[in-house]
Amino acid sequence: MGAKWKLITDLIFTLTLCLMLAVPAHAHGAKIEYTVDVVIEIVAAYDSGEPMAGAQVVIYAPDDPTDPWLTGVCNDEGRFRFVPDTSRPGTWDVQVRKAGHGDIVHIPIGEGSTGAGSAGGYTPLQIILMAACVIWGAVGTSLYFWRRRA
Amino acid sequence: MHVPDGILPVPVTAAGYAVTAAVTWYSIHKINQRENPRQDVPKASLLTAAFFVASWIHIPVPPTSVHLVLNGLLGAVLGYFAFPAILIGLFFQAVMFQHGGLTTLGVNAVIMGIPAIIAHYIFRLRKLGDNKGRRRTAVFGFLAGAIALGLSVALFVVILLTNLPAELDAVTERAAIYTLAIAHLPLIAIEGAITSILAVFLQRVRPRILEGV
Repeated sequence: MGAKWKLITDLIFTLTLCLMLAVPAHAHGAKIEYTVDVVIEIVAAYDSGEPMAGAQVVIYAPDDPTDPWLTGVCNDEGRFRFVPDTSRPGTWDVQVRKAGHGDIVHIPIGEGSTGAGSAGGYTPLQIILMAACVIWGAVGTSLYFWRRRA
Repeated sequence: MHVPDGILPVPVTAAGYAVTAAVTWYSIHKINQRENPRQDVPKASLLTAAFFVASWIHIPVPPTSVHLVLNGLLGAVLGYFAFPAILIGLFFQAVMFQHGGLTTLGVNAVIMGIPAIIAHYIFRLRKLGDNKGRRRTAVFGFLAGAIALGLSVALFVVILLTNLPAELDAVTERAAIYTLAIAHLPLIAIEGAITSILAVFLQRVRPRILEGV
């Protein structure tokens, strides 16, 4: 009888100890959930390289090209970030505008969308080459008519 | 100063093309009335190239930067040749530099071309009166260059302010437009000076170039 009560007492003591140990451990536990979102960062600058600080950003979802989905303002570096609604796949239009200057960029959003792109723009070498062609065309035209006049 | 694509509504861009077509026709009509219409083609061609490259020359005016336009210079030196010259220059600027756009080519030609024709008439005022010295050329050259750019800025501001889209914060955009317009004030003086110096230089070195205008 005494051995039986001792066994029950030991069991209760052990269970109590286990609970005491378990409770603080549970209180320090952490639960981490995650979702993967596509964050789009745009960087707007003039062709002189100067950032379009304070430029207004208007974003249109693919299924509603008339009503803006989000509007915002670029920071001092011409940057603006937003998380598009990935349940609306398609081409998102992002317009950046300041004092009548700006451009629109078309960003395809779908499953596994990654990468980078830009609106417009040529490399400096392309611009120099094209400008040289136009200038030579103008000079050639000038020489042609000047010679005929002479 | 160049309005890009997607900024203005379609009726405004269409009206810009209509006005540009009419002014281009009138300019060519006036050129054809001259004794030798081809005489000034070399001069117009070279100044078209100058106008084309000018928009690439940026001048920092904090908090923004502006670029040369030279429409007053073209108007003073070319007369009615200035409008087609500016139209061609704007086309190449839109295609190659993305300065302006193809849908807004007409509007931009109105903004920069019509003040150029007004500059032509301002510069012709130097011929009035007996005193036709270099000082008079310098003064009217300055006025032609400065007033043409000032009118272009005014047209740019009015067209933008009257066509602000509803989705934009109008107060912010208006403030940005006024800031840009004020930033052009130094450029107005610079272009006036460039036109004045070039006019005096041409009058001294090759006065024949200024004979027709």
